[in-house]
Amino acid sequence: MENALDLLALQPPGWGGNLLRGLLSTIQIALGAYALGLCIGFCGALGKLYGGPVLRWSLEFYTTLIRAVPELILILLLYYAGTDLLNTVRGSMGWDRVDIDGLWAGIYVIGFVQGAYSTEVFRGAMRAVSNDQVEAAKSVGMSPVMMHRRIIIPLMLPFALPGLANLWLITTKDTALLAVVGFSELALETRQAAGATKEYLLFFLAAGTLYLLLTLVSNLLFGLLEKRLRRGEARVT
Amino acid sequence: MTTSSYAIELRQLRKSFGSVEVLKDVSLAARKGEVISLIGSSGSGKSTLLRCINLLENPTAGEILLNGETLLLRKGKSGLEAANRRQAERFRSKLGMVFQSFNLWQHMTVLQNVMEGPVRVLKRTKADVHKEAVALLERVGLGEKLYAYPSQMSGGQQQRAAIARALAMQPDVMLFDEPTSALDPELVGEVLQVIRALADEGRTMLLVTHEMRFAREVSDRVIYLHNGQIEEEGTPDQLFGNPKSDRCRTFVSSIHS
Repeated sequence: MENALDLLALQPPGWGGNLLRGLLSTIQIALGAYALGLCIGFCGALGKLYGGPVLRWSLEFYTTLIRAVPELILILLLYYAGTDLLNTVRGSMGWDRVDIDGLWAGIYVIGFVQGAYSTEVFRGAMRAVSNDQVEAAKSVGMSPVMMHRRIIIPLMLPFALPGLANLWLITTKDTALLAVVGFSELALETRQAAGATKEYLLFFLAAGTLYLLLTLVSNLLFGLLEKRLRRGEARVT
Repeated sequence: MTTSSYAIELRQLRKSFGSVEVLKDVSLAARKGEVISLIGSSGSGKSTLLRCINLLENPTAGEILLNGETLLLRKGKSGLEAANRRQAERFRSKLGMVFQSFNLWQHMTVLQNVMEGPVRVLKRTKADVHKEAVALLERVGLGEKLYAYPSQMSGGQQQRAAIARALAMQPDVMLFDEPTSALDPELVGEVLQVIRALADEGRTMLLVTHEMRFAREVSDRVIYLHNGQIEEEGTPDQLFGNPKSDRCRTFVSSIHS
């Protein structure tokens, strides 16, 4: 037991500091990717609901394709192909090659994947807003933009929140896939610590506990948010 | 008589849903301060007529005038649509609509519901609007419910709040779409009382209703719609006391009993 505490100590030769740094990277990527995914998803939902045929068809293609392909493959594809593409473009412009920063690459790649899922979550939530509420907004003379800002978006959020909370948890775990492109988030740090010490069980349990803590804290925050968003609804006991 | 002495005027309004023609060439005009009730069996087109006035339904043909100003319309996918969005929004802001199922915004308190339109659409200051909104809510007997959410109130209270919300826009015409049809019988009276007070203060109102006795008491004119056409219209006493058409006679007597 003492041995385990030594191994998990925050200062070297303990590996605890590495694990926490990994967790921090994981949270950073997850937050960035989630925010990007929400932006893409919200715009995507508006596009699917109100866009012309070309836009709707493009978005359908995006959401179908991204949701069909395993995320590991998407990450490998977008990461390597994305870097290649960027450097080809830069090369043709006469600029030097660049190495994409792992953090940003991770955020873009996972955010792009998340965007496809959250498009569907937002689209469903917007369609769930009762037409009665919309008609009341129209009848006082609200413009479409104001109607969305004041009525439709606040009312659709409670419908979207359970789906969005799920997506957040999936995002935090998707970051582990970035280990395959060598980004040192929690999973990769754990593997390195375990490999160096041969204490596989200890370190993977420790990592599991950190992921679990992240989930528990997230649940708490989403719970508070849901309570706030559902403030006008009749209480169901 | 000049056109502008009419608060609202509908000319040869038609509306089809697919191949079903719900309104067939309906014309009607309400003078300022006039209270007109629209009656008829369900499917007669009376709610559709009301909803065409503020373009919640798009008419297939016809003209709509508010205080002599013509609403600009153009052909669209679902019928005639607003040709000028801002003009249509301005029209809507002057037409106070009260819905059958209240349609209060669920995420706002009653006070916020009432203040929303004046503050956001009419761009008035919150301080001004707040005072008026509180006064309006007190007038409809909801002075104690300013901070309640719609889900915490009875149907009658919600409908009175919805009337206050419509009034807060200081509309030129009030449109009531079966305002008591979704209410439990014991709650109908409190809502009718509020509507009656509005009629008494000389507001222009169009009222779609099944409350025949009420229509007879408050209306200046009653219009009986059948199959999307005006079958008969007249003063309440004419229409209820001595209907000319057989259909109207049958309808009135079946409801009265």
